[in-house]
Amino acid sequence: MGTLDYLFQGFETALIWYNLIFAFVGVLIGTAVGVLPGIGPMSGVALLIPVTASATGWLPPESAATSAIILLAGVYYGAMYGGSTTSILLNTPGESSSVVTTLDGYQMAKKGRAGSALSIAAIGSFVAGIVTLVALIALAKPLSSVALKFGPAEYFSLMLLGLGAVSGLAGTSVTKALIMTVAGLLLGTIGIDNVSGIARFTFNVPWLYQGIEFLTIAVGLFALGEVFKTILEKDEEEGEIARINNLLPSKAELKESAAPIARGSILGFFVGILPGAGATLASFFSYILEKKISKNPSKFGTGTIAGVAAPESANNAASGGALIPLLTLGIPGSGTTAILMGALMMYNVQPGPLLFEDHPQVAWGLIASMFIGNVMLLILNLPLVKVFAKIIQTPKQFLIPMIIAISIFGVYAVQVSTNDLLLLLGCGILGYFLSKNDYPIAPLVLGLVLGPMVENNLRRALTISNGDFSIFVSRPISLAFLLITLLWLVIPLLMKRRGKEVIINAEG
Amino acid sequence: MSIQFDRIASILFLATGVLFIVGSRQLGSSSYGSSVGPDIFPLLLGIILVLLSIRLFYETMVAKTQHSSKKKLLYKPFLIIFSATLVYILTLETIGYVITTFLFLFVSFQTMERSKVITSLIISAFFSGFVYFMYVEVLKGTLPGWPIWLS
Repeated sequence: MGTLDYLFQGFETALIWYNLIFAFVGVLIGTAVGVLPGIGPMSGVALLIPVTASATGWLPPESAATSAIILLAGVYYGAMYGGSTTSILLNTPGESSSVVTTLDGYQMAKKGRAGSALSIAAIGSFVAGIVTLVALIALAKPLSSVALKFGPAEYFSLMLLGLGAVSGLAGTSVTKALIMTVAGLLLGTIGIDNVSGIARFTFNVPWLYQGIEFLTIAVGLFALGEVFKTILEKDEEEGEIARINNLLPSKAELKESAAPIARGSILGFFVGILPGAGATLASFFSYILEKKISKNPSKFGTGTIAGVAAPESANNAASGGALIPLLTLGIPGSGTTAILMGALMMYNVQPGPLLFEDHPQVAWGLIASMFIGNVMLLILNLPLVKVFAKIIQTPKQFLIPMIIAISIFGVYAVQVSTNDLLLLLGCGILGYFLSKNDYPIAPLVLGLVLGPMVENNLRRALTISNGDFSIFVSRPISLAFLLITLLWLVIPLLMKRRGKEVIINAEG
Repeated sequence: MSIQFDRIASILFLATGVLFIVGSRQLGSSSYGSSVGPDIFPLLLGIILVLLSIRLFYETMVAKTQHSSKKKLLYKPFLIIFSATLVYILTLETIGYVITTFLFLFVSFQTMERSKVITSLIISAFFSGFVYFMYVEVLKGTLPGWPIWLS
C-alpha cells in the first residue's frame, strides 16, 4: 500500500464520530491551556492522560490508544494557537513559545490592531500546521525505514544524542540539566528488571515492584509544582485586556505576512525536528531571521505584522516537527513529546520505526486527525477568540484548587493507590524548589520515560560484543551520534565562555 | 537561584549516586550466560551522578555571590492548602471521594481568597458530584465514593 492509501485509512479512523469529538475536546482544552498563564502544554498534557485513559476505557486497546493520542496531541498543538492570544492582548505570554509574540503583538493591540494580529497568528499557525503535516507524511516512511536498520548500539547512541541535546539546551546550567537527566534514568531503574526479573532498589516494598509511574512524577513536578509556585508567589497585577475591533486582516496585511509565514513554517519545522530545540527556540530564531532580512528592521518591536506572523507560524510548525523523531525513531525531543510517548506506552503502543507497520491505525489516524484539528482550531480561534480572551479572567481562586483536585483524581484513577498520591504531593514540592533553582524538569521526565529503552539497548549491544564497550565507537553510525552528542554539549559551553549569550529552551 | 540550595542539592545528589552504586553492587552481574547483568546500567549512572554532583559543588564554590531579588513568599495560604491536600489524600479511601473533594475544594477556594462563599460552595459541590458521576456512573471506573461505614 502506498502512503496515500494509508493516509486515506487514517482519515477513515479520524472521521469516526468519537474521534472527531476527542480531537475537538483536545484542541479546545489545548487552546484554553495556551491561554491560561501558569499551565503550559506539558502540565496540560500530563493532567489529561488519566482523564483520557478513563474516557477511552470502553474501546478496544488499539482504538483507545488512537483516540487518546488524538486528544493529547490536540492539546499539544492547540496550546500553540492559544498562547498567542494572551501575548497579544495582555502582554503576558500564555506559554514560553509565545514570548516573542508579545514584542510586536502587544504593540499592535495598543494601536487598535489586536484583531488583525490575532487572526494573522491563527492563519499563520494553520498554514504552518498544514506544511508540517505534509512534511511529516513525506518523511515518515523513509526515516523509519532508515531507523529499522539500526542495531542496539546505534539506538543507544541515538538515545544518548536525544538526552544530551535536551540537557544541553534545557536550562542555564548544563551540569544541572545533566544531573536531572541522570536522576530520571536512575528513577527508571527502580522496579523489576524486565530482562533478568530481579527486583532492583525496591527494598522489598511491593508498591515499588512495578516501578515508579512516570505519570505521577510528571503531573507532580509540572502541574503541582506550578500550582505551588502560583500560591507562594501571588502576582497581584492584572493587566488591561486590549479591545478587539476588526477581526479580519486587510489585504495589505495578508500580503505583508505571507512570506514571513512561509519562512516561519519551514524554519520552525526544521528546528522542531532537532531534539532539544523546540517551539520556544523556533519562535526566537524566526523572529531574528525576519528582523535580519527585513528592509527596515527598526520597525520590529513597534507593532509590525511580520513580527507576529513569523514566530507564531514557527512555534506551531516546531510542535509538528517535534512529532517526527517521536513517531519515526521513538525518541522524544522535548518534555511534552516525552509525555506523549509515555502516554502511548501506557497503551502498549511503542513509538518508533515499527509504529507505522505494527500500528498504522494509531500513526495515520493521528496524522489525519491533525489535519482536522488544525481546521477546527482555525475556526475556534478566528470567530471565537473573544470567548477565549474571557478565559484569562478565570479567577485563580477557583482555578488553582481545581488543578490540584484534577491531579489527585487523575493519578488515583490510574494507579488506585494512596502511596502514589503521597509521591505526587512530594513531587509537587520538589518540582517547585527544583524549577525555582534552575533545575530543568523536562530532562528528568525524558530520562524516566527513555530509561528502560536506553538500558535495554545498552545491554543488548554489550551482550553482542561480549561486554566490550568499543562497540559504540567502532560502528560508524553510532560513533557519529556520539560525536554529535559531545559537540551539542560542548559547543554551548564554549560559546558561554566566550561571553556569548546562548538562547535556551525554557519550554523543555 | 541560591548557592546555598545548590550546595545542599549537590551533596544530596552525591549521596544518591553513592547509594545507587552501593545498591547495584549487590545485584547480580550477569544474567542467562551473558556477561551483562542488571547491575551495569545503574552502576554507570551512579558513577556519572557522583561526578556531576562534584562538578556542581565545584561550580558553587567558584560562583560569585549574587543578590537575588527576594520575592515575598506567601507561606500561610501555601501551608493551609498543602495540609488540606495531605488530609485529602489520607482520608480519600476511608471517607470517600465526594465528601473529601468537596471539603478540600471549599477550604482551598476560601484560602486563596476570602470571598464568594456561596459560589465556592456551589463550585465545590458541582465539581465533586460531576467527577464522581461521570467517572463512576458513566465510565464505570472505580473510586471510593462514600464513607466506608455507610456502604
